[in-house]
Amino acid sequence: MQQDKYNDKLNRLQNEELENIAPGVEVYHQLMAIYLYQNKLANAKFLWMRIANNLKEQNKELAQLNLLNLALQHNNYADFFKHIKYEWSETNRPIIDDLLAKQREELFNLTSTAYVSIYEQNLMEMAQMTAEELHNACSDWTREQDGDKRILLPKMKEPTPRVASDDQLLKLTEFVSFLEN
Amino acid sequence: MGSALENYVNQVRTLSAAGSYRELADELPESLSLLVRNWSILDNVLETLDMQQHTLGVLYVLLGKLHSAATANPEPMQIIELMREFVQRSNLDQLRYAVCPFYETCHLFTDFLVQHNLSILGIKVLSLAIDQIRQMETQLTPIHADLCQLSLKAKNFNLILPYLDTDITDISTVAAECKNQQQQQPQHTLDANNDAKYFLLYYYYGGMIYTAIKNYERALYFFEVCITTPAMAMSHIMLEAYKKFLMVSLIVEGKIAYIPKNTQVIGRFMKPLASHYHDLVNVYGNSSSEELRIIILKYSEAFTRDNNMGLAKQVATSLYKRNIQRLTKTFLTLSLSDVASRVQLPSAAEAERYILNMIKSGEIFASINQKDGMVLFKDDPEQYNLPDMFLNVQTNITQVLDLVKQINKMEEEIILNPMYVKKSLGSQDDDLASQHPKTYSGDPTD
Repeated sequence: MQQDKYNDKLNRLQNEELENIAPGVEVYHQLMAIYLYQNKLANAKFLWMRIANNLKEQNKELAQLNLLNLALQHNNYADFFKHIKYEWSETNRPIIDDLLAKQREELFNLTSTAYVSIYEQNLMEMAQMTAEELHNACSDWTREQDGDKRILLPKMKEPTPRVASDDQLLKLTEFVSFLEN
Repeated sequence: MGSALENYVNQVRTLSAAGSYRELADELPESLSLLVRNWSILDNVLETLDMQQHTLGVLYVLLGKLHSAATANPEPMQIIELMREFVQRSNLDQLRYAVCPFYETCHLFTDFLVQHNLSILGIKVLSLAIDQIRQMETQLTPIHADLCQLSLKAKNFNLILPYLDTDITDISTVAAECKNQQQQQPQHTLDANNDAKYFLLYYYYGGMIYTAIKNYERALYFFEVCITTPAMAMSHIMLEAYKKFLMVSLIVEGKIAYIPKNTQVIGRFMKPLASHYHDLVNVYGNSSSEELRIIILKYSEAFTRDNNMGLAKQVATSLYKRNIQRLTKTFLTLSLSDVASRVQLPSAAEAERYILNMIKSGEIFASINQKDGMVLFKDDPEQYNLPDMFLNVQTNITQVLDLVKQINKMEEEIILNPMYVKKSLGSQDDDLASQHPKTYSGDPTD
């Protein structure tokens, strides 16, 4: 349901872009941020391609958003977390904050599924966090010492079992009764 | 000159008021050249007509305006505004009598916008136009191709995607529309020849749009429709689609995707013209990234000329991924440096990056152990016992059932078609007459 949070706004902005000959830079900012948040990277890429060149050059924040976009496209977490540390304007801040939280969570989920063990230093670089912050973020992971480097053994997250909804149960019962007859 | 235009206005007014739209639609094409000649005072004509009441009259004025755009050089914003107002306010009942000129207007409008680099402003107008003129959601109109072109030009695919996602069951063509209305208009015969062009363009552009947003499966389908369209001669659109088809099928399947047999055009005309691409396919089959890199470099000029260089790079990346995927079938564990050397990546770190990305996108199941630099390949953890999977299966079943219903419905339509009945009955009689003795003697129970 998190995705839906910005959908109304997104629709409005998209319409605005289609109907104005030169939409304001604000529109582009927010569109870009929302695309990134919703992980619609292809959209973000083409948005960047259609923004007029003079806007790109004049507006620092837009360029910064594109750096985020590029980092996400190349799956480069280190760059992403580096570039997201920026003085965002008031309108963009809430979206960017959400984006940051979401990407952090994704990174930790990914490391816990993709790694049996990972050097603390590497993860710190990927997440652009200090040892202290990292420690708080994944306090339940096991730590080991490997020579003079510290190594983390991520803990698999238990997938949260989802309860079947009434709708599904209904379909199942229909199916069973069909088989019985 | 002025009086001729006055006649035009009067004609439109009287016939519209009398409700004889058919007659009006038949007579108006003759006035088109008059309108084009008097482009400078068309705005005055517009003022005397009402979009709602005199839709047909306004349509031809618009057509005249667009035809004369090269000489008149009108203000682009004014044309866009006019078109927007027209598609919003025009009277659909009247418009039905003039579908062909309406299509033509949309085509000219598209060309006009592309020339003026204002494609993005036309997307909404044309999508409204499609919504108005199509008789059902699954009908393809020639305007679809225009909308695709504008979307590609403007690099904005938000509005076009819903149209591309619906499966087409019916095609509205200029030829069919003219036949419906028993119009024999010389200037439309030329446009009728373009039906095939707009059909092919729709699938070609659609495939490009899907490729751009990396929905390669659907893109492959679109290119396939484009290249397998029954034809006696090859269209250049089909050739370009065939080139892209080859590349996308490498990305999706790693080999040339299955092509139905009834397409002699491909073997006879396209293969010799796309030899570079066939070389690429052959090299891809060797699974050597190094060789692939060399051949892409070798043909880079041709690929760049065809605007397919970006796609070629995607093909190269896909080979790395495919090779890693192949490793998971053979090995349980492998060191990162081994992975790198086997798939010809420069370093272990690079291999780790690829593997991490593939785990993220769910292409392989593995875990990396940085401590001893090893990768553990795992099996697909899906056990098909979760509600999510159930939902997935359920939706797939519903889709297939809907498709079956649709096919049955279309088959019924064909069976009930008098032309078909006549033909099939006729040939059956022939069959019975000629084959009767043969089947009789070949009968094993005899």
